[in-house]
Amino acid sequence: MNNEKPKETPIMIKMLNEPRPIPRKVPDYMRKKGGAWYWTGAMVTTAFLYEVITGLIILMYYQPSQAYTSTENFVNSVPFGSIILTTHLYGAYMMIVLVYVHLLRNLFVAAYKKPRMMQWLTGVILLALTVGIGFFGYSMSGDVLSADATDVGTGIARGIPIIGNYLSLIFFGDGTPVSLFHRMLGWHIVLAAGIGLLFMGHFILAEYNSIMPSHKDANYKVPAIDEEKPEYKPWYPNNLFYMLQISMITIAAILIITSVVAALGSTVPALFSPFPQVSPNSPLAQNVPAYPPWFLLFVYKAVDFSFMAGPGPFYATLIFAGIPVFYLLLLPYIDRSPSLKLTDRPITFGLAILGIIFFVGLSTWGALTPGVSIPTSQVLAFFLLPILIVIPLVHYLSKNYQRTGMDAGHFSQLAISMSLLGVSGFGLGMLIDALIRYRNPVYYVPSILMAMVVALLVTMVAYTIWDSRHSVEKKHYKPLSRRMKNMLGGAFTLGAFVLITVIQPFSATSTFQESLFGIGLGIVILIAAANLKLYRSVVLGE
Amino acid sequence: MTEETSIEMEGVEDPSRRSFLKYMTVAAFAAASAGALRVALQNIIPKSAGITGFPQLLLVDSASGKPINTTDLTVNSSAVVTFDYPLQGEPNFLLRLGDASGNDVNVKSVKVSIPASGGTFQSPAGVGPYGSVVASSAICEHLGCVPPIIKFYKPGTSIPNGPSGSQNTGLIHCNCHGSTYDPGKGFGIVTGPTQNPLPNVSLKYDKTSDQYYAVSMVGPTVYGHSSDLSGGNPLPSSSQTGVSTQSA
Repeated sequence: MNNEKPKETPIMIKMLNEPRPIPRKVPDYMRKKGGAWYWTGAMVTTAFLYEVITGLIILMYYQPSQAYTSTENFVNSVPFGSIILTTHLYGAYMMIVLVYVHLLRNLFVAAYKKPRMMQWLTGVILLALTVGIGFFGYSMSGDVLSADATDVGTGIARGIPIIGNYLSLIFFGDGTPVSLFHRMLGWHIVLAAGIGLLFMGHFILAEYNSIMPSHKDANYKVPAIDEEKPEYKPWYPNNLFYMLQISMITIAAILIITSVVAALGSTVPALFSPFPQVSPNSPLAQNVPAYPPWFLLFVYKAVDFSFMAGPGPFYATLIFAGIPVFYLLLLPYIDRSPSLKLTDRPITFGLAILGIIFFVGLSTWGALTPGVSIPTSQVLAFFLLPILIVIPLVHYLSKNYQRTGMDAGHFSQLAISMSLLGVSGFGLGMLIDALIRYRNPVYYVPSILMAMVVALLVTMVAYTIWDSRHSVEKKHYKPLSRRMKNMLGGAFTLGAFVLITVIQPFSATSTFQESLFGIGLGIVILIAAANLKLYRSVVLGE
Repeated sequence: MTEETSIEMEGVEDPSRRSFLKYMTVAAFAAASAGALRVALQNIIPKSAGITGFPQLLLVDSASGKPINTTDLTVNSSAVVTFDYPLQGEPNFLLRLGDASGNDVNVKSVKVSIPASGGTFQSPAGVGPYGSVVASSAICEHLGCVPPIIKFYKPGTSIPNGPSGSQNTGLIHCNCHGSTYDPGKGFGIVTGPTQNPLPNVSLKYDKTSDQYYAVSMVGPTVYGHSSDLSGGNPLPSSSQTGVSTQSA
């Protein structure tokens, strides 16, 4: 039994003794349609960099001694403060969503398997750090929601046996507001530095192990390593431009989504409002339901379970957030089979689906019934029903789809563009509704801009459906001619110049007009990304 | 390989097309960057603290809160008497000038030259029943020293490291680097190294109530400020400013 395998060299030592050049070249299919799935990490990194830049700007104005006043002042009086603070918040939301997307994607393609165990572990820790930094950042505005979140955070810290009080002192200070906000600012920055450093390790490991290749290339078996081939295109310009394009789209998405939500103003529920709520001392504070940030709603609901009332919030966190994280950390050591196929990993697959259902379900539950105690029977039903449905379903799927397989690229592209369309369509509906109801001309411009975004997304959805139908019978459609692409590029740039000029006179201290500026700037960045894509297709042949 | 050659051939056919799309992309990118840069730059420039115009402030005793009357001011006082105007942290001398024997001197409006800029300004005349009360910034225009390092020396006393007793007609001298100003002649320069006279405070005297007001400032800008009205917080009251006395 013990002469089965030679002992493997730890990855750290291997990296030192057998270095490989970075950055690594990648195969062409990673830059083609659906290739974006290989770059979810780049999207997270872009969102992180956006957070660092906007965070450093806000740092110049934030005063822990008067957290709420200085935040309100930044939003209302400092030029473009509203754009910067709201996109900092929504950029963080986006980063958290992208981290989950990145995690799920790598879980489904089995990227946690040999030799990427260390990458997976650092990734799970980065997830925890990201949620942590999000919590501190959310709590720094000093509004009524941040006060609620801080109370819950302190409660969880205090609930830890023996060291609880010390941890609460370390993270939340001596009990005075100045100390509290100073500590939170400190930890917010410390965690940002921690994320930056750990990300470097995560990134270097990813470069060393190469981007996880397609299952077909890896022959559906570990270790899935992409060996560099001579026909791979050079990093500059092919990869760099592709990555720039992805980064610009990410930033444009942050700007546009945030600005649309910000333009809707008070019609947005407090849970998703990009603006600080009222001060906790205000008489209006009692009208704001005590919500935690949405990404912690699942723990919030778990605290409401009647059987958790005795043990307290720390144990609820330990069970409902700690166990999943613990499972994710152990996953590379639990699932050690050499197969990459999802159908060969029904347990991992099933648990992942259940995880998504429980996370989304608990969060929605928390949003709909904040603070309402839930009897144990309902909790059991909530957890058992999905298990009873998902396990047989996964069993069935893994039995029957082992051979055929489905077009994942189109499916995911469709899912994303449709969910974006859902959000923008909702936004457009709200704007048109407001336009009709108040007949206020200020709603014209955002309605038109929003209609442009919706039209763009409708085209994308339609194109994806059309393309998925036609790609089956070997692509026959005629690509745009070069002349056409050139003309399109010229028109785009002209549009960008017109748009950037149009938005210049907007007031830099009116939150509404700043939102319009944000939408405009986002569209200009999208245009730049579109032109980059045209350039890549005409000059680089991609 | 074949793909690349075909691109090359296309390029040969019309090389300007390749660069056209390149320029279009760079231009769109530049437009986006310019927009983003404007946001960041306009955001990080803080709003300058200050006020929009010179306020008219009644001079009151900062201890008692009562308006200053002529009898509260000593001729050729050796104490340092100052008030903040027009912003917090901008101290000004309040002087009642006299001759060597202690009689009030009527201070005339004169043309004061500013060597730093080559220009001149007309100093306000003294106010009060005898025309002997004048005021100026108490921040040395050379490098910003403040009272009591810079202060008024009464006529006839010799100034350490400065003019001798016989030369002293009642001068303001800064002990940091030796700049000397003449309050009787619009706080003009007597000796360097300063290149600017002290900024004068225009005072108003109300005969019936025997009260004094600071109205505006003339001459060079208060040391360390880009304008007299910015770079500091407004005074707590918009109607009065406190006069404090530091005995010598």
